Amino acid sequence: MKTLLSKPWIWSFLGALVVFLATIAFTRGVGTGGILTAALSLAVFTVIVGTGQMFVITLGPGNVDLSLPANIGLASAVAMKVMDGNDAMIAVGLLAALGSGLAVGVANYLLIRLLRIPPIIATLSSSFIILSIDISYGRGLQIKPPPGYADFTNIQIVGIPILAFVTVAFSVGAAIVLSRLVYGRSVLAIGQNIRAAWLAGVPVERVRFLTYALCGALGGITGALLAGYFRGASVDIGNEYLLSSIAVVVIGGTSVAGGKANVPGIWGAALFLVLLLTMLNTFGVSPGLRLVLTGLIIVGVITAAGGQKALR
Amino acid sequence: MKKTAMLGALALVLMSGTAMADTSGKKIAFSNNYAGNSWRQAMLKSYAAVTEQAVKDGVVAAADIFTTADKEVPTQAAQIQNLILQGYDAIVINAGSPDALNGAVKQACDAGIVVVSFDGIVTEPCAYRVVVDFKAMGLEEVEQMAKFQPQGGNLLEIRGLAGTSIDEEIHQGILEGVAKHPEFKIVGSVTGDWDQTTAQKAVATILPSLPDVVGVVDQGGDGYGAAQAFAAAGKPRPTIIMGNRQDELQYWKEQKELDGYQTWSASIAPGVSSLAFWVAQQVLDGRSDIPHDLMVPYLAFTQDDFEAVLPTIEKGGVASHEYTLDESKAAIAANM
Repeated sequence: MKTLLSKPWIWSFLGALVVFLATIAFTRGVGTGGILTAALSLAVFTVIVGTGQMFVITLGPGNVDLSLPANIGLASAVAMKVMDGNDAMIAVGLLAALGSGLAVGVANYLLIRLLRIPPIIATLSSSFIILSIDISYGRGLQIKPPPGYADFTNIQIVGIPILAFVTVAFSVGAAIVLSRLVYGRSVLAIGQNIRAAWLAGVPVERVRFLTYALCGALGGITGALLAGYFRGASVDIGNEYLLSSIAVVVIGGTSVAGGKANVPGIWGAALFLVLLLTMLNTFGVSPGLRLVLTGLIIVGVITAAGGQKALR
Repeated sequence: MKKTAMLGALALVLMSGTAMADTSGKKIAFSNNYAGNSWRQAMLKSYAAVTEQAVKDGVVAAADIFTTADKEVPTQAAQIQNLILQGYDAIVINAGSPDALNGAVKQACDAGIVVVSFDGIVTEPCAYRVVVDFKAMGLEEVEQMAKFQPQGGNLLEIRGLAGTSIDEEIHQGILEGVAKHPEFKIVGSVTGDWDQTTAQKAVATILPSLPDVVGVVDQGGDGYGAAQAFAAAGKPRPTIIMGNRQDELQYWKEQKELDGYQTWSASIAPGVSSLAFWVAQQVLDGRSDIPHDLMVPYLAFTQDDFEAVLPTIEKGGVASHEYTLDESKAAIAANM
């Protein structure tokens, strides 16, 4: 029990469990299965972008990707335009979205490296450029996804969306990369002390380049998946991921100061955020109070998770 | 009698003639705070179409559009101050806040500039406000619902952007409608932000715990998302009030062909931007009898006429109506 409580990710799962129990207590058990299915369906997207953001944040103070919402919006339009409602083009569309996201990630890194702009400013300004490209490229082009693709994003096996299985496999992969591969260890080393990492022979700039490119590519994939699930691309489809991609990283127990990452915590935090929305919607809380409660509860969970550290 | 009519016609010709002469040297700016969704895109397109023609015809000298890079109020306030310095004669505004821009708007008025706000209006008394009767729209949604679901039942309400006057007015209209039709009961209320994605997500989270829902009353832009959420949850399709978006009307058409699905659609026409432009032009023309608060009707479609308009809306767009000068005069006259 004590070892379990010392895991930084346990708090996000506990938070998710508490809001879930509160919700089904309120509904007296009505729709329990449906609530879980909806939560899993919506959480997968946050998990994927959150994982990308986690790698970036782990690089150390100041590293963050604020271009994710615009990146996701553009990739959703690219994917739907390439697929053009044709089932045979699904794979090509996914690759195009991946490419679009990758290009955004690479552009972000180039801004940071060549022009020496701090990542916050660089990714924020690139998001304005991407948004403008998206508006001119995607205007009036709300193309619907091919039927086969739209169905795929909604397939469930005993109430569990197939995308959730895929995303769990992805998370396992991300955890292995982080803890076993040279690249993942390098990200952690840079986050702990960039100078020490450089002196130890870590190719700092190459690792940073790979990390921003990876985060961009994951944003691109998420854009394509969202366009399938929400039946169409739109400019603001990724808006909520500006805040939530960072929130799940922090709630999930990854250090904002960098050098300490946590993959399972992202799942707990993503489920927590969706279930929190479910709970407030079910309780019928007024919109203003809803925002206040969301803020307070997130602060509460982060404090609980951080409180452990202070005890040591 | 005939003579009076002729005199009247002559007076009209003279009036329109002087209108040309009086405003042909005037410059009108459009200050817009957001362009990122389909409604705003349609709004800008309508405005550009009408004003380009007006400039070509020599009605005004210039009608430039300025959109801020972010949704921030200070940015728009600074933008309005720039427009004052650039010497525009009138500023049409879709404001990011009803009261936070009042300072900048007052400065414009004091500089002798005509300010006309619409959609996102400003409360500063010196400005003109072109508003849609959203409360009537909310009320009519429930009236229509009573026609399609005469037995009544449970309703799900999807609200718009929290804190805006539009969201509150539609909501009040819906409440009034439900009070009038006690056979309906609102069993759930979620925030959809007039956005398909947000609405689908919100409905998906609340749906499993709700009893059977016969109808969805909403604010436009959220109908298609609501329909997707019901389908994904495997729940029977309720009567969903639509909001004039292309995807909503397309869904309606598909369902109608499938089994005669019936509903109703209403929203504020993005082309109301062109009405705001004509109001500014009319004030510059010397008309002092125009009330500062102008109420215009919402744009609605029924089972019989929505299919006629559907092909004219581009994919991802919104049904719109661009005002001509004469229609604008009529709209103004209806408020006097």
